[in-house]
Amino acid sequence: MATTAAMTTTVDDSARDRAQAAAERAAIDASCRGPVLFFAASAIVWLLVGSLLALLASVKLHTPYLLTASPELTFGRVRMAHLQAMGYGWLSLATVAALLWQMCRLSRAELVYPKLLILAGVLWNIGQFLAVVGIILGDATSVEWLEAPAYAPPFFIAAVGIISAWTVAVFRRRREPHVYVTQWYILGAIFWFPWLYLVAQFMIFWSTAVGVVQPIVNWWFGHNVIGLWFTPVAVGTAYYLIPKIIGRPIHSYYLSIIGFWSLALFYSWAGMHHLIGGPIPGWLSSASTVGSMMMLIPVLAVAINHHMTMRGHFHRLRYSPALRFTVFGAIAYTLVSVQGSFEALKDFSEVTHFTHYTVAHAHLGVYGFVTMIMFGLFYYMVPRLTGREWASSTLIRVHFWCAAVGIAIYFAGLSIGGWWQGRMLNNPNVPFAHIVNYTLPYLFSRSIAGTLMTAGHLAFTVLFVMNVAGWGQQRAGGPTFFVEPPSASLSGPQRIGPRDL
Amino acid sequence: MDRGMVIFLGALFTFSSSWLGLIVFPFQQLGHEQPYQKSDSDDPYPQPLQGIAVAGKRVYQANGCMYCHSQQVRSQRFGNWWDDNGEERTGADIKRSWGLRRTVSRDYLYDNPTMLGTMRTGPDLANIGVRNPSAMWHHTHLLNPRSANPWSIMPSFPYLYKREKIVGDRSEKALLLGREWTVHPGYRWRPTPQQWDELLRERGATILRQVLASAPTETFDLTTADGQKRLLDFWLTTPEEDYQIVPTADGEALVAYLLALRKAEVPLPEAKE
Repeated sequence: MATTAAMTTTVDDSARDRAQAAAERAAIDASCRGPVLFFAASAIVWLLVGSLLALLASVKLHTPYLLTASPELTFGRVRMAHLQAMGYGWLSLATVAALLWQMCRLSRAELVYPKLLILAGVLWNIGQFLAVVGIILGDATSVEWLEAPAYAPPFFIAAVGIISAWTVAVFRRRREPHVYVTQWYILGAIFWFPWLYLVAQFMIFWSTAVGVVQPIVNWWFGHNVIGLWFTPVAVGTAYYLIPKIIGRPIHSYYLSIIGFWSLALFYSWAGMHHLIGGPIPGWLSSASTVGSMMMLIPVLAVAINHHMTMRGHFHRLRYSPALRFTVFGAIAYTLVSVQGSFEALKDFSEVTHFTHYTVAHAHLGVYGFVTMIMFGLFYYMVPRLTGREWASSTLIRVHFWCAAVGIAIYFAGLSIGGWWQGRMLNNPNVPFAHIVNYTLPYLFSRSIAGTLMTAGHLAFTVLFVMNVAGWGQQRAGGPTFFVEPPSASLSGPQRIGPRDL
Repeated sequence: MDRGMVIFLGALFTFSSSWLGLIVFPFQQLGHEQPYQKSDSDDPYPQPLQGIAVAGKRVYQANGCMYCHSQQVRSQRFGNWWDDNGEERTGADIKRSWGLRRTVSRDYLYDNPTMLGTMRTGPDLANIGVRNPSAMWHHTHLLNPRSANPWSIMPSFPYLYKREKIVGDRSEKALLLGREWTVHPGYRWRPTPQQWDELLRERGATILRQVLASAPTETFDLTTADGQKRLLDFWLTTPEEDYQIVPTADGEALVAYLLALRKAEVPLPEAKE
């Protein structure tokens, strides 16, 4: 409640308090600058690598003769390398950048020994480079989400150990007594991910989980890495950015509590729906179907909370790039989660399992939701770290529309194609050749979508490089808008909240 | 209590519940399964992979075959469809002859990693060794899947094969494919019209003799463009005289692994519907 109180009394704050708060924020941002920008920059490098691999894999599925003679670029390896680059490169490194900066800002505490975090970033990138190159050269494990060859995980484990420890250290040195909901999500994520990763590595590769226990561990990990690592940080980021940008507190403190704890409880139970119909005990997939349906609670709690916070402020999506990306992501979160709950029902899964429908769903999650929110955060955070505004609002517009239209085509094409693919697979009278031919136009639509998304990523990269290289205007007052808002009251959070939490 | 501690304990508790329920408990439940032996004279089932099939599994892993091919046969009652009379039916996997029965946890006792798969861009492979036991078919299909199924979108795997000059007799392992598949391994080769004119000028008589050796009833009027094209079409389906394509060690190993995939073959009591 403290935040609500703090924000409603803002009008009375004196100019001196504001100056003090601004100086504090500047000191916090200065302490974060090195490591957070390092994580952000390397995340973008992997985003580009992952996009090119994705595009290649996508085109190969409808044009099988493309580069077919090269072992390094065969479909299976490129697809695994794409997942590695996006999952552990872009998504994870962006997540780390997001959680470090927000934890410092919300705790009102500087980062201590930032150089060690840069070391963590270097270690993670070494592991990531070894993993992607190893997969391309033929060392992949073929365990989905854990494809990295055995020499990469030690780097990830060391890096994530440092990151988690530093995040906790910042939290313990907090000057702000109120713990905001974003901090809960971050604390959850930095605790869950190392545990998940260690358990999965240990049980699958170092110990004796053979037979069907292995896919069970595999999907417990694969589902949770999304639900308990990417999702909490992305949802937490939306919880941070939406109130910050529109300048009003979150609608309901209690809904955010319900959302957090029900996510923690139910998401971790949902993973076995990936094995419905498979050779595992029936009660396991039933338990996960229950967990998946119960996920409606946290999802709707977050959806209502975000929507009620935004109510009356939707017109601001015209102006603020960060807000537009974030709200797009928040809406996609609701859609993809509700869809996911129903996909876990047996009748639904009977059709969509083993088809491109699942691929569309996965991308609505990791792209439409997580990636879009991370873009939103970058547009908000990077100028505060570099002290420079974005050099071109046209490029931001290009980025937004390429990404938004790209994921929309991606999702629509593979959902429709995948649904009918599943219906035909269930009918033994339909020859397999017919199903393959039927999916081709939809696979082609994905390549178009992927080209758009990649073009958006290039625009984003250009903007980021220009910003870091000092090509933008010095930050003074308002942020970069798509179009200038009509009145000065809309420009920037500095004018709205004194604390600028 | 400190707010951080509340979050820590809560995160620990919720997470432990799923870890105990979804991981530790199934680990205990499934950890003691034994191979099945109907009578003492029978071999226990399943058997671990043997010989080069073990290396073949590595090739399967390295090239990500699992990302398009599942290895599980689902129940007769799974997945509905409607037949021509509008009647509701279930169980496509077995009717597609992907296995004689559904697969159960015991089928995977020795699998490591267990590549159940999540995608059926291609057909299920749990039982491919029973369904298609011909090593030669697998080799020709792997070199270029279009040589077996023109509609296939599977990649070619020419790097599992080598094209070599024949010294002495043709190897027994040499792939039985026409030159259109072997001149440029992994691709489908066809000379350009200029190249074909040149070939006809230089070696026309030899080519005609080669084709007639394998298709003695055919006649070709080489004075017409149509006759020349027909000759080319025939010639492309005849094997190269001086070169052969043989599997590399990886290619042999992969096919041995595929032939060892015979999961839904031996009846198991728990797999009854």
